Amino acid sequence: MATLTLKQLKKQYPNGYKALHGIDLDFGEGELIVIVGPSGCGKSTLLRTLAGLEDISEGDLEINGKRVNDLEPAERDIAMVFQNYALYPHMSVFDNMAYGLRNRRTPKDEIQQRVSEAAELLGLTELLDRRPKQLSGGQRQRVAMGRAIVRKPQVFLFDEPLSNLDAKLRVQMRLEIRRLQKRLKVTSVYVTHDQTEAMTLADRLVVMNEGHVEQFGTPMALYDKPASKFVAGFIGSPAMNFLDATLEDASEGSGQDATLALPCGARLALRPETTVIDTVINNTLTLGIRPEHLDVLETDSPLPKGAAELNVQVELVEPLGADTLAYCRLAGQTEPLVVRLDGEHVVAEDQQLRLAITPARAHLFGADGRRLTTCS
Amino acid sequence: MRYNRPGLDIASHLLLIVGCALFFLPVWIAFSASTHEMGDLYSNVAPVWIGEAGLDNYRHLLEDPVSSLGADVMTLLFNSMIMALGIALGKIIISVLAAYAIVFFEFRFRKLCFWLIFITLMLPVEVRILPTFKVVADLNMLDSYAGLILPLIASATATFLLRQFYMTIPAELVEAARIDGAGPWRFLKDILLPLSKTNIAALFVIMFIYGWNQYLWPLLITTDADYLTIVVSLKRMLTTGDGLVPWQDVTATTLLAMGPPVLVILFMQRYFIKGLVDSEK
Repeated sequence: MATLTLKQLKKQYPNGYKALHGIDLDFGEGELIVIVGPSGCGKSTLLRTLAGLEDISEGDLEINGKRVNDLEPAERDIAMVFQNYALYPHMSVFDNMAYGLRNRRTPKDEIQQRVSEAAELLGLTELLDRRPKQLSGGQRQRVAMGRAIVRKPQVFLFDEPLSNLDAKLRVQMRLEIRRLQKRLKVTSVYVTHDQTEAMTLADRLVVMNEGHVEQFGTPMALYDKPASKFVAGFIGSPAMNFLDATLEDASEGSGQDATLALPCGARLALRPETTVIDTVINNTLTLGIRPEHLDVLETDSPLPKGAAELNVQVELVEPLGADTLAYCRLAGQTEPLVVRLDGEHVVAEDQQLRLAITPARAHLFGADGRRLTTCS
Repeated sequence: MRYNRPGLDIASHLLLIVGCALFFLPVWIAFSASTHEMGDLYSNVAPVWIGEAGLDNYRHLLEDPVSSLGADVMTLLFNSMIMALGIALGKIIISVLAAYAIVFFEFRFRKLCFWLIFITLMLPVEVRILPTFKVVADLNMLDSYAGLILPLIASATATFLLRQFYMTIPAELVEAARIDGAGPWRFLKDILLPLSKTNIAALFVIMFIYGWNQYLWPLLITTDADYLTIVVSLKRMLTTGDGLVPWQDVTATTLLAMGPPVLVILFMQRYFIKGLVDSEK
């Protein structure tokens, strides 16, 4: 168990490309941290600098409060699980797991014991004599994890370990990793581009974009209060809907509320404490609303207080069983508006829907993409 | 490929049989000639069947020094074996290390090193034979095994082939080994060498035959009969001045010279073909 501290960590490649621009993070003991972001956001680079496979250009990396910048990967007491497993093809499963221990001159009987323990934990006991080639994808994945476990390291690093598996196996292995991590209580850093994986696995989540940390927090905190438009669009599936909006002066609206005008003509009342946003009055803002937070109104039911009404036309329906996704057209909006409906709610294409946005569910982002804090 | 056409089957077998005969016939004629007395070869048409001398010529060649050479064929085979093994093993050791350095390590002038090795591919031994001779002579290595082996011990071809193979090894495998605490030597020994086993076997066969068949270089630097190689001696046995060429001895020596390469191929065949066709990854 270990804490992991990153202080102004920067990475610049010899060709001048800056992959990481000053990362500050603090991971607690036994936490499972997921780093998520689109391709090229620097998440793999970050993981590789943690592992010691890439040099740190600037800043400090501490494991348990000890600076490890200049230590070789093997000396950092970490273990890594790679995307393509990176098993030694000419070695048996047993030797694959034992190799790291042998290099550390662990006594033979201890190797034997640790490997059999790990094999048992992962259900690999029967396969110890096989070569990686003779294993299925899921089994290889387990061996790769076994190789990490037997070392009993301070930190586990996972580099998109599930992306080579098929969808069903991925869900299964995801649960297994989670269970294993909770059981072994080893601080883990897990990199993925899959936001579902990120949400389900993480104790805390780091969303990265272009070498910066966009937000760091629990999955639900990121879901409920995304710090930026980028995080809002990345976390949650299907992605959040974004609508252009203009904030109108409170005095022009109803009483003390500021109102948000949408291009389609709808208006959304905002709460009084949103006066901090004086500076953005009359500027173009972005209103974000998640597909699951758009409420469908029956034709004759009244609009809830403070809510804005959107009249949309259904273009496409995707029934998923439990839910139905409706892609709708909204006047003045090029992107379709996605609405998540109850699976029992029957909608037909070309049908008109009345949707309501409640202020509490709306997210507001400034022109720079940052969240305007007091929107809810 | 398999086509369901009986005619094609017959035709292809015929072609194969003709091909085999074409290759086998000269060997057979050499063999049958080697089993005759010298007189038979000069008084008769070329013999097609085994003669009365049987294997006497062979025994005689292996045990007694050949008059035109001053050494028995056993010594010649031994010398050739030392040279071929030395060249093959030396080339493999050097190429493995060179390719390892070029592929897995980052150092200044890495590209330059590679290209320097690569362009020597295009230079045959003959081009640099005079300076090489001078160097070997200055080092007092004329008429020695070292002189036979050392100048031929570096191989651009082998380095290049191994480099190509090493480049197909996923970077993650290297990194996994690094995290597992394997230093450069251990990575080479535990992971790279076992993985390139088949490639090395194939290279060994090719390089062994290359070394065994060396003619010009051993011819140049050996004058002492103790360091004669078998391929060089073959030619020397044909130049007998005024006497008759002892064809029975020449053909027997030829067949003996063919032996070790054939054995090496048979022995390494399994790896050899695997190494040329696929790579186990």
